[in-house]
Amino acid sequence: MRPRVAPFGEAALLVELGDEFQESVVGWARGIADTWESTFNFGPAVPAYASALLRFDPLRIAPAEAERLANELLARGELMAIASEPRRVIEIPTTYNGPDLVATAERSHLGVDELVAVHSGREYTAYFLGFMPGWAYCGRLDPRIVAPRHERPRERIPAGTVAVADGQTGVYPLASPGGWQLIGRTELAMFDPSAAEPVRIRAGDRVRFVPL
Amino acid sequence: MIRINEAGLRSTVQDRGRFGHLRSGVPPAGAADPFALAAANALVGNTDDAAGIEIIGAPFRFSCDDARVVAVTGRDVSLTTRSRLPGWSSVFVRAGQVVAVNLGERTRFAYLAVSGGIATTPVLGSRASYLPAGVGAPLRSGGALPLGDTDAGAEDAAHRIEPTTYDGQARAMAGPHDGRFEADAIARFFSATFVVESASDRQGVRLGGVPIAPRPGELQSCGVVAGAVQVPRGGAPIVLLADHGTTVGYPFIATVIASDLGKVAQRMPGESLRFYRVERDEALDALRAERRALDG
Repeated sequence: MRPRVAPFGEAALLVELGDEFQESVVGWARGIADTWESTFNFGPAVPAYASALLRFDPLRIAPAEAERLANELLARGELMAIASEPRRVIEIPTTYNGPDLVATAERSHLGVDELVAVHSGREYTAYFLGFMPGWAYCGRLDPRIVAPRHERPRERIPAGTVAVADGQTGVYPLASPGGWQLIGRTELAMFDPSAAEPVRIRAGDRVRFVPL
Repeated sequence: MIRINEAGLRSTVQDRGRFGHLRSGVPPAGAADPFALAAANALVGNTDDAAGIEIIGAPFRFSCDDARVVAVTGRDVSLTTRSRLPGWSSVFVRAGQVVAVNLGERTRFAYLAVSGGIATTPVLGSRASYLPAGVGAPLRSGGALPLGDTDAGAEDAAHRIEPTTYDGQARAMAGPHDGRFEADAIARFFSATFVVESASDRQGVRLGGVPIAPRPGELQSCGVVAGAVQVPRGGAPIVLLADHGTTVGYPFIATVIASDLGKVAQRMPGESLRFYRVERDEALDALRAERRALDG
């Protein structure tokens, strides 16, 4: 698809940059979101893998004007991508004992120990946060790990569950329904609304799972 | 303080929402029927960022430690002090006077505003409760909440705002993912009569009756707004409400305009819902009309 700006209701725009995961596009989406928030100061933005949601108050700024500026941002192209910043490394102490651990190892033609070694053996990038408070989409997984989403999502996954799906990995910050393959657990709290920094992982962080 | 004698089923403190942490995955929360809360606040002289109580399920009774102006809004609502008083109008209540909020059979959400506003400590910049993450808690019978200062008096009562017509007809703009649907699927969406399913909640209103399938193909998760109509693989649309996840991986066929969110949120399971296609200008006109009604 060609990158484009589309109205999302009367008070937001959706900048779509592509259909597929691409490392450079993630930074582009975040750069657009940052500029919208900090330079234009029109309202909050939500970047994701290949898009940025740009919110504004349509009684304060005319939607056509917001759209013109969003298109201007888009036209700057990947120059908008955020410069590489000093990245924190977040370590997640993990007990690999999830209900899908064995099945995931078998599907990936790996022994359980090998799966643990492969999953914990690389540093991931936290690409963006979404879905629920503190949920960081981290990747990319070693392509040897084969982890399709469950056809029928589970109704309740406990907080702290370490999961993989479709080239990504993450930690459920809260008990919730979910369709990812569950391979382990961490005691580390991923979301604490009373803390000054409520989320453990920020977009752009490096993330390592440390087997216990 | 406001004392909650009877708290209903799952009543919470809500304001217009928490928009400062969307990028951390924190949903906006806030009133499911935003105009109803805004109207209640306007009626009692509060600013538009004041917090009120979203009431789910009767019975709800309260009193305030000092004299206050109060208003209840929502679908089919009224108040009882010594006599029964209509919703969508401001009422002066004396210190200690017990007030019952009356809900009708079709009231999904009622909103109570008290002059001065509910003054709980903001969390991440907002007083909106978001129960899935333990932000705020359902109100308990016998509990109490702090109130902000007010100089509103009896002379500030008896204002009225025209209630929303909860008629099951909501205006919506097409898209943003209209390109991912066949033209006839979009036409069907804007002509069908859907039925609200019982699994609907503050996260979203689930629609049955008319399956609408997107074209095959994967979509990367993207940020969303309340009112977005998500179409999962099964084809049963979901209109996202205040507690929606901040990003979603299914295409959006349409987006309910902000002014009509409450008309969607207040539909009861089993009731019908239809969507009428409008362009952005009409959505803006509706917002301006809302603003005029609130500024009275």
